[in-house]
Amino acid sequence: MTTNVLAVEDDERIRTALRLALEDEGWQVSEAESCEEALERFTPEGTDVVLVDIMLPGLDGFELCRSIRRISHVPIIMVTARDDTHDVVAGLEAGADDYLTKPFAPKELSARIRALLRRSRTVDGSDLPRTVGDLEIYPDEGVVTKGGDELHLTKTEFRLLCELSDNPGKVLSREQLLERVWGYDYFGDGRLVDVHVRRLRLKIEDDPASPRYVATARGLGYKLRA
Amino acid sequence: MRLRWPRPLRRLPLRARVVGAFTLGALLAAFLLVVMTYSLSRGSMLGLRQDSSEAQFFANATQVQGSLRAESPDFAVLLESLPSLSGSRSIVRTGPDIWRSPSLVPSDLPDELVEAVERSDQAHAMRYRLDGVPQLALGLRLRPAAVSQLSETLYFEVVPLSEIEATLASLRLILGVGAALTVLIGVAVGAWAGGRLLRPLATVSDAANSIAHGRFDTRVERSDDPDLAVIVESFNDMADAMERRIARDARFASDVSHELRSPLQTLRSSIDYLNGHRDELSAQGATALDLLAAEVDRFQQLVQDLLEISRPDADGSVFERGLVNITELVQHRVGTLGPDVELNITAAATNAVVIGDKRGLAQVFDNLLRNAEKHGGGVTRVGISRPGNLVRVAVEDDGPGVTPSERDLVFERFTRGAAARKRGAGTGAGLGLALVYEHTRRHGGSVRVESRPDGERGARFVVELPIAGHR
Repeated sequence: MTTNVLAVEDDERIRTALRLALEDEGWQVSEAESCEEALERFTPEGTDVVLVDIMLPGLDGFELCRSIRRISHVPIIMVTARDDTHDVVAGLEAGADDYLTKPFAPKELSARIRALLRRSRTVDGSDLPRTVGDLEIYPDEGVVTKGGDELHLTKTEFRLLCELSDNPGKVLSREQLLERVWGYDYFGDGRLVDVHVRRLRLKIEDDPASPRYVATARGLGYKLRA
Repeated sequence: MRLRWPRPLRRLPLRARVVGAFTLGALLAAFLLVVMTYSLSRGSMLGLRQDSSEAQFFANATQVQGSLRAESPDFAVLLESLPSLSGSRSIVRTGPDIWRSPSLVPSDLPDELVEAVERSDQAHAMRYRLDGVPQLALGLRLRPAAVSQLSETLYFEVVPLSEIEATLASLRLILGVGAALTVLIGVAVGAWAGGRLLRPLATVSDAANSIAHGRFDTRVERSDDPDLAVIVESFNDMADAMERRIARDARFASDVSHELRSPLQTLRSSIDYLNGHRDELSAQGATALDLLAAEVDRFQQLVQDLLEISRPDADGSVFERGLVNITELVQHRVGTLGPDVELNITAAATNAVVIGDKRGLAQVFDNLLRNAEKHGGGVTRVGISRPGNLVRVAVEDDGPGVTPSERDLVFERFTRGAAARKRGAGTGAGLGLALVYEHTRRHGGSVRVESRPDGERGARFVVELPIAGHR
């Protein structure tokens, strides 16, 4: 089964260059130059990963992320030409799984895509279902339930939860999580972890403001309370 | 016309001048007050004493006059019976005969007074000093009681003024102390007023300092005082304008960044694609591609360095603070160079952690290593140590070294060392070391270049950063 990448980028030349590089990886690329066109082309079943440029004419990339998130948990990579904290955090908050700053090497992009497409298996390799409080996690199926009801996590959120639940009670540093969940070797952005933990809490915690499951170890990282 | 301070005074600090003015004012006021009070008091006290003494004198003289009618007046008894006002003493002289109070001899009388009394019928008074004590002497020629009396009779009285003198002395003392106190208060008020006057200046100066250190949102609190409101207002206006300007510059940098990064993205992607298909290119085509790739690399590096270095200090965008293990970071970066580099880590520096931005710090060491590789004949040795509360990373190379006169210059933007002055393959844009300087400075650290300690040729770049918790 080929991987379908939806590349949303208003600059035609960049789009073409990216298509050449991604097709070299053996992936199928569909292009869109605006938010509206992207939503037309996007299908939850037919799209495996979405590449979104933030600066789009009309509705911007943040809006597109939010629109896609309403209907799908597909991995989204945001592309930005600015490295303002504001843009990066806003993009992650809008639902992006990862981001790249222009100019990036196409190899970097394909590495990011591959990391996001990886199976939800944890690094330690344990696929066994586990229970944390009233959370039931099934790594094999990519399913998590709370009190019997299935929770809708994105792939990245799910992998984050699996990594944390693999080491219950143990603090995992941002670097460790970046490596295990996003596949960064050394230079991951800690904000990726922070924003995703925040989103994960919104979904699994009764009161995200005073989390019961995912605890912050200030300056060190995060841990899952057993 | 504006009042101008005399030239030497103008050089004094404002506060000293304010204190001086207050002191001078107090001194003048105190002096005038003392002189006026003293002279008025003295005049009125002496006047009163003279009036009362004269009244007594005339009363006594009348009695002496009365006794002249007696056949043989007993002046000795009379003198003793006369009321003595505060120690007054008397002398009666009739021809050659003299009667006197025991402690007064005729030579004690001032000659001037005696002559004046001898010459006229009127009473005379004069102040003089006798044995250092101020005295009031009064004299009168008495009318003869009978024509038979040939010799004329003179009556003198001497009233000591020592009591008044004592009172005046205490008055002087009191006034002197009062004047000194007034001057002291003047000095104190001057100092206080000076401080008060300068306080808004100190506030403004603190604010300016704060702005100079990158806190561009610093403002001076508004003042109700109309005099101060002007300076506060204009200072804040200036700060507003500057902040707007800086924000505009930052936005400009950001816009430029966007405009430059998009075409670079296309170039980067296309070149990488071509590189992946080198085997389809002719040898010449591959060479051309390599040239293109090298230039795009350089261009990309230049754009990134430019954006990095033009970023305002206070902007937190990329400066994401966290705990960074410098030892691990340097090990990681040195590891990418290959096995030839000697890496020495002292025991104390095995886990040197600083607070800062990992990317920025990585750039510091990347740039130092790259500089050594490109211009210094390759990295020979990297050392990490922990002197005091600092972590010190030293990168040594095998190049021509940096002459002492160039040692500060190498950290300036677009400076190329003698070795790298020739533009060509592999030379950087001249921003690498400037960025090293910028980043270490933003992290509260320092960077310098020196000769290699082993005396060999080559340069040694030393970066020192404050250890977390010791900043």
